[in-house]
Amino acid sequence: MKRSIPLAIVIILGFLFVGYVFIPHKISSDFYEWYMEWIKAMSPFGVILGIMSIIMTHTARIQHKVPNWQYSIVTLIAMIFTAYAGFAWGTQEGTPFMWLFKNVQMPMGATMFSLLAFYIASASYKAFRARSAEATVLLLAAIIVMLGQVPVGVSLFGEGINDITHWILNVPNLASKRGIALGVGLGMVATSLRILLGIERTYLGGGE
Amino acid sequence: MFEIVSNWVAAFLTLCIFSFLYKDNPFYRFAEYLFVGVTAGYTIPLTWNMSFIPYVYRPLFLQHKFILLIPAFIGILYIFTFNRKLNWLSRYPIAFGMGMVGMGVPLSMHASVLVQMRGAMIPIESINSLLVFIGTITILLYFYFSKAHTGTYGKVVKIGIWYMMIGFGASFGYTVMARISLLIGRIQFLVSDVLHIIK
Amino acid sequence: MNIFERLQMLDRRWIFLVVAIAIIVPLIIPFNSKTYTTEPTEKLYRLIDSYAPAPDEKAIEKDRALLLVFTHDASTMSELFPMEVAILRHCFARNIKVFTLTFLPSAAPIMDYAINTVKEEFPEVKSGEHYVNFGYKIGALMLPIILGMGEDISEAVDIDAEGRKISSLPIMKNIKNYNEMNLIMDFSGSSAGGAWIVYARSKFGANVGAGVTAVMAADEYPYLQTGQLTGMLAGLKGAAEYEKLVDVFATNPDPAKREFSRELLKDTKYDDAITNPNIKTKFKQARIGMNAQSVAHIMIIVFILIGNIGYFITKYKQKQQG
Repeated sequence: MKRSIPLAIVIILGFLFVGYVFIPHKISSDFYEWYMEWIKAMSPFGVILGIMSIIMTHTARIQHKVPNWQYSIVTLIAMIFTAYAGFAWGTQEGTPFMWLFKNVQMPMGATMFSLLAFYIASASYKAFRARSAEATVLLLAAIIVMLGQVPVGVSLFGEGINDITHWILNVPNLASKRGIALGVGLGMVATSLRILLGIERTYLGGGE
Repeated sequence: MFEIVSNWVAAFLTLCIFSFLYKDNPFYRFAEYLFVGVTAGYTIPLTWNMSFIPYVYRPLFLQHKFILLIPAFIGILYIFTFNRKLNWLSRYPIAFGMGMVGMGVPLSMHASVLVQMRGAMIPIESINSLLVFIGTITILLYFYFSKAHTGTYGKVVKIGIWYMMIGFGASFGYTVMARISLLIGRIQFLVSDVLHIIK
Repeated sequence: MNIFERLQMLDRRWIFLVVAIAIIVPLIIPFNSKTYTTEPTEKLYRLIDSYAPAPDEKAIEKDRALLLVFTHDASTMSELFPMEVAILRHCFARNIKVFTLTFLPSAAPIMDYAINTVKEEFPEVKSGEHYVNFGYKIGALMLPIILGMGEDISEAVDIDAEGRKISSLPIMKNIKNYNEMNLIMDFSGSSAGGAWIVYARSKFGANVGAGVTAVMAADEYPYLQTGQLTGMLAGLKGAAEYEKLVDVFATNPDPAKREFSRELLKDTKYDDAITNPNIKTKFKQARIGMNAQSVAHIMIIVFILIGNIGYFITKYKQKQQG
């Protein structure tokens, strides 16, 4: 009962949605509107899960005085203050909330991603080895594409590098990505079908 | 003046994150934990204003659509995820959300499979279209793992592997460009908006 | 230990330092480099340009419009923001009706910032007449809006970011649904086109273009070939190409030269954009970035070559000893 009812909900709703895609009748769009209204009413509560998880993790770290527990205080204060700023002064342009977003979250988020540039350079130097013929082909294709993307590549090797890059992207790369896309698409259809038919149940989690 | 201070705060936090490249240090840790806190705090008022008020509060209390008490109650069941005895209750909102997978079956079949298949079935009028055709078929054969990749089949599949290596090489080239672009963005911010070295 | 073995064991922090210098120096010392445009970008440019009113036509009467969908956050701004600015500049310069929309709360400030950045140079451009910012719409409304715009845009979106009824705005004259708002540009850091290809294109025949980060660009070529994507701007290079096209054609001081022409594109006088003080920095960000990109790519290739040379020499020596 603890697993069978949610499973039944997924299967019934799943088949109703398949019907929705193929049946252009008004009853189909009414079902879709009903579902959207209900899912919109349910969705805000999912955020509670994330917030609870953060609070529980960091308060446990503070209670048990794990190494660097002091930083957890920073997280909790930042979370509470940002949320308070949003409620007290609004979320429009010019408020403390937007200031925190533009000058704290945005720069730090962008910088976290930009660290990858350093790691990719380090990996290029230390890890990318032409150990086999296939790896050599991979590296050669990468070098040609990298040169073809930048003006200096054309200055050094002439406009032919553009044509070779264009050919690599439109012929072998296209075939490769299409084959992979077909494989991934079929895999997605298979997984969706497994969920629809109740064979795949990992989303229900462990336990009884 | 306020904009200058704001830019310097952003620059300080940017440099705190970059300091990790030298080694892990308190400045980086502080910035990392601050980022987690601000990101989490950011979602709360937004969810309240953009999701809870228009789709739960207004329909229930202003428009009196009391039927929506049912999905609101099902949504609240999410919080039982953390309770060992009652976490089976959290399966209900998850199950309701998963129902949309039924729509994914025909639509992803169409967009990811059928249209791509149609795109692959082009007349082989040039050497390039022949190469694309061979590549697509050999890669699909590669992903068929129910047959051992030995003998003639193995040789055919090897062609697919060569194609994939070129494809991955192209992706790597583009990935390098993407990552460098992100770094360029941050450096441009530091150099122009903060230090005003370039205008 | 020979030089190659020492190089193999180099502390990676020296590599980080070289990367930092390789990026900072080209940004501080600008130099001109030629931007070569590619077919996906040119195709997109020409399609958007076809939405411009004819010389004898009033812009407000034009029955074509473009929708820009911002589906990314600040982390991918360095690649996507220059292309958004370039397209908005194209639209404002050629009086093309443009709408902006997002389903991500983190993209809403980026959208405002892009519009304001370009609007500064076009004081005659007015919200509601030349462009409309539909604003942020909650993610759960994405499918209803995408499907609803196939019937009636004003009904599906209802109000804009300033709280005005879309149906009351002058820009909506002769614009009803995807038949008129015929191109959707999705700027995305993850799935390009996505729901727009599945719903807007398959069901209503709208053109879908993508502005993507370079990471995803290689994966989108099958969609370009099938026609699911009409055109694509790939990363900073795509943005640089579009900036050049806008400089050469859309904002050309000579109105007779505003139509796309390959001969004009080859004219070398447009290659001095980076040092040209008449072109504002904000409209050549991508091209400036491409200079740093050039140096960085050469640096990465040199790293790969040195690393592999060292590896093969070390391996050869080990074989000889062993």
